[in-house]
Amino acid sequence: MAKVVGLITTNYSTHHPSQFVEGVRPVAATPVLGRYRMIDFTLSNMVNAGLSTIGLIMPDNYRPVIDHVGAGKDWGLDRKNGGLFPLPGSSFGMSRVGGRFLIRDFEANRDFLRRSKSDYVIVSGCDFLYTTDLKKIVDAHIASGDDITVVTYRANEDSEDVNAVVKDDKGAFAGIKTGSAFGDAAFMDLFVIGTQKLEELLGWYRDVDHLDLFDALKEDLDEVRVGTYDYEGYVAPIFSKEAYFKRSMELLDPALQEQLFTNDLPVMTKAHDTTPAKYEPGAHVANSLVSSGTKIYGTVKNSIIGRACVIEPGATVTNAILVRSVTVKAGAHIENAIIDRNNEIAAGTVLRGTSDAVLVLPKGND
Amino acid sequence: MSKKECLAMLLAGGQGSRLKALTSEVAKPAVSFGGKFRIIDFALSNCANSGITTVGVLTQYRPYLLHSYIGSGEAWNLDGRSGGVSILPPFATQSGGAWYEGTADAVTQNLGYIEQNDPDYVLILSGDQLYRMDYNDMLENHKRHNADLTIAVMPVPWEEAPRFGILTTDDDERILKFTEKPAHPDSNLASMGIYIFNADLLVETLKEDAKDPNSEHDFGKNIIPKLLDAGKRLYTYRFEGFWRDVGTIASYHETNMELLGSEPAFDLYDQESPIMSNTVPMPPHYVGPDASIDDCLVDNGCRILGQVRHSVISAGVYVGPHTIVEDSVLLPGARVMEGCRVVNAILGERAVVEKNVDFGSKDADTAVAGNDAVITKGEE
Repeated sequence: MAKVVGLITTNYSTHHPSQFVEGVRPVAATPVLGRYRMIDFTLSNMVNAGLSTIGLIMPDNYRPVIDHVGAGKDWGLDRKNGGLFPLPGSSFGMSRVGGRFLIRDFEANRDFLRRSKSDYVIVSGCDFLYTTDLKKIVDAHIASGDDITVVTYRANEDSEDVNAVVKDDKGAFAGIKTGSAFGDAAFMDLFVIGTQKLEELLGWYRDVDHLDLFDALKEDLDEVRVGTYDYEGYVAPIFSKEAYFKRSMELLDPALQEQLFTNDLPVMTKAHDTTPAKYEPGAHVANSLVSSGTKIYGTVKNSIIGRACVIEPGATVTNAILVRSVTVKAGAHIENAIIDRNNEIAAGTVLRGTSDAVLVLPKGND
Repeated sequence: MSKKECLAMLLAGGQGSRLKALTSEVAKPAVSFGGKFRIIDFALSNCANSGITTVGVLTQYRPYLLHSYIGSGEAWNLDGRSGGVSILPPFATQSGGAWYEGTADAVTQNLGYIEQNDPDYVLILSGDQLYRMDYNDMLENHKRHNADLTIAVMPVPWEEAPRFGILTTDDDERILKFTEKPAHPDSNLASMGIYIFNADLLVETLKEDAKDPNSEHDFGKNIIPKLLDAGKRLYTYRFEGFWRDVGTIASYHETNMELLGSEPAFDLYDQESPIMSNTVPMPPHYVGPDASIDDCLVDNGCRILGQVRHSVISAGVYVGPHTIVEDSVLLPGARVMEGCRVVNAILGERAVVEKNVDFGSKDADTAVAGNDAVITKGEE
């Protein structure tokens, strides 16, 4: 059986950093869907595919990432052989240009690749929410005989921050471009490559290590066979606070939840000893996701409530995301808003955005 | 192995036969409680929160779930470099093997474990009680009295005293008398079955007791009276908080209900001494557009589409549309399909109530469906 290891880049930036997405923490550590961080999905997909050696190329502000993943215990990655390896990444990765796979970052971690004694590497960013069995993609890669298999999905209407695969007249891979239009083969920032092949490419590109791997590859497509794998399940790309809000709200649909949360491929995350959510007498909650450790006395509609929030009597939360440890005092109203962690909304306050201009209240103090 | 100040021996072999269907497949300490816990979480969390890091868990009855649940003790931070959790089922020696016959006998059979850890004190606990206690405070109390044995006690209503082992003390909390289930109690201090022994005395006493053919090898019935007769220094440690030994279906149901309301009798939300548990990762629960949830605990992974009132809803439960659940305890993975009415009931883990079926009633005893049970029309 082929040995596969994972490599996740967490040190790139997006086109539209905001107070919420990227402003205060790397994308990998962005809290999502009540009790997760973005990186949980990529990490869990890899672990569920049987990978036991995963490298994380770290951003400069790595604290929230390390705080979350620790030694990988919650993903079963605290192992004697293999495990989770935080790896050095260049300071700003690929700033604002859309690339996620800086050659320099692979080059700096050749020791990781060499010591992994692996046959294949699954390389991924961490801006996409999806749940899938990556073994199938690795199998397809091996069966194709290609050097690299790039994973794509059909882009929906608002994918301007998602990179797309460009194909030539014959339908062959011709490169990666910035931004996707509806129907494009959008790049999931996920590819499979033979470990030896990756090392060989790093040798070729030593002098252009400031480039993204796919920019460098453009010139050599006659020598490197790049194939694509079309992923057909649900994918939620999150590159901006607008996308974050829209995708989160979309996931209030149980049919989509079922595509992310399955029995066979659990999404693992850091364990917290929170108690079940408590609905006090008089609470009213509809069409919402509610995490443990939360107490609800008031009204919650079409919202996502993270851990350890308190919604006091007479308070209302509508079309909103409370990240965690948010207290909404009596009679306060929140609508079309993202309230980051550690905030207290004073009694009677009204915080209201619109569905097009979501209000963001940044992270408060611990 | 390095020396430990205090070692805990957690008795978790009990069947809990009066819990009937809930314990037909699992030991009582492994029974689910309060939405996300298992009963043993409370004793293990108390140990961890009290800084007791070496815990022997004595198991016997239907131990599989209990063993896999405890695992390395990691979920309670009890997987340290030294000590940690050791699971101690009955074992065989060259002279044969034997089941644990009584609480004291279970510890006697594991004296080797105690000697290996060489503690100054041994804390004896029961794995099937629900309470929060700082054992360290009890140990300080034990040392202050220069005691040989300290027994945790709690005051109970006088009329209930005849149901308990009752301790009579002097003004300095020294125990003068121990009476098992007295008809005419002269004290209302009930033993909680939580003991701190000086380790040397425990080892010596258990070895002696093992030779006594008339002994039932029980701490309450045999060991405590023997030490009292021998003039040893026995003291009480007074506990005032919430404590339950959920021995019956009725008390199990009632104790779950005590977690509800705006000012619950037992507040699970105390972050100073969290009750830790070994949980399966699940997403936040989803509450449907037409659902209503009033006065409930609801854990992760649930999907609630119907009406739920005054109930404890554990991880991964499904409540279908047009269904009413009231005054009930739904254990992990239970499913109540569409158009049902579940009232005053306990649904075991993964139990299913099929479409349009009613289960339980306000006017009867609490209805119980065991783990994996399927309730169909006609079985209501």
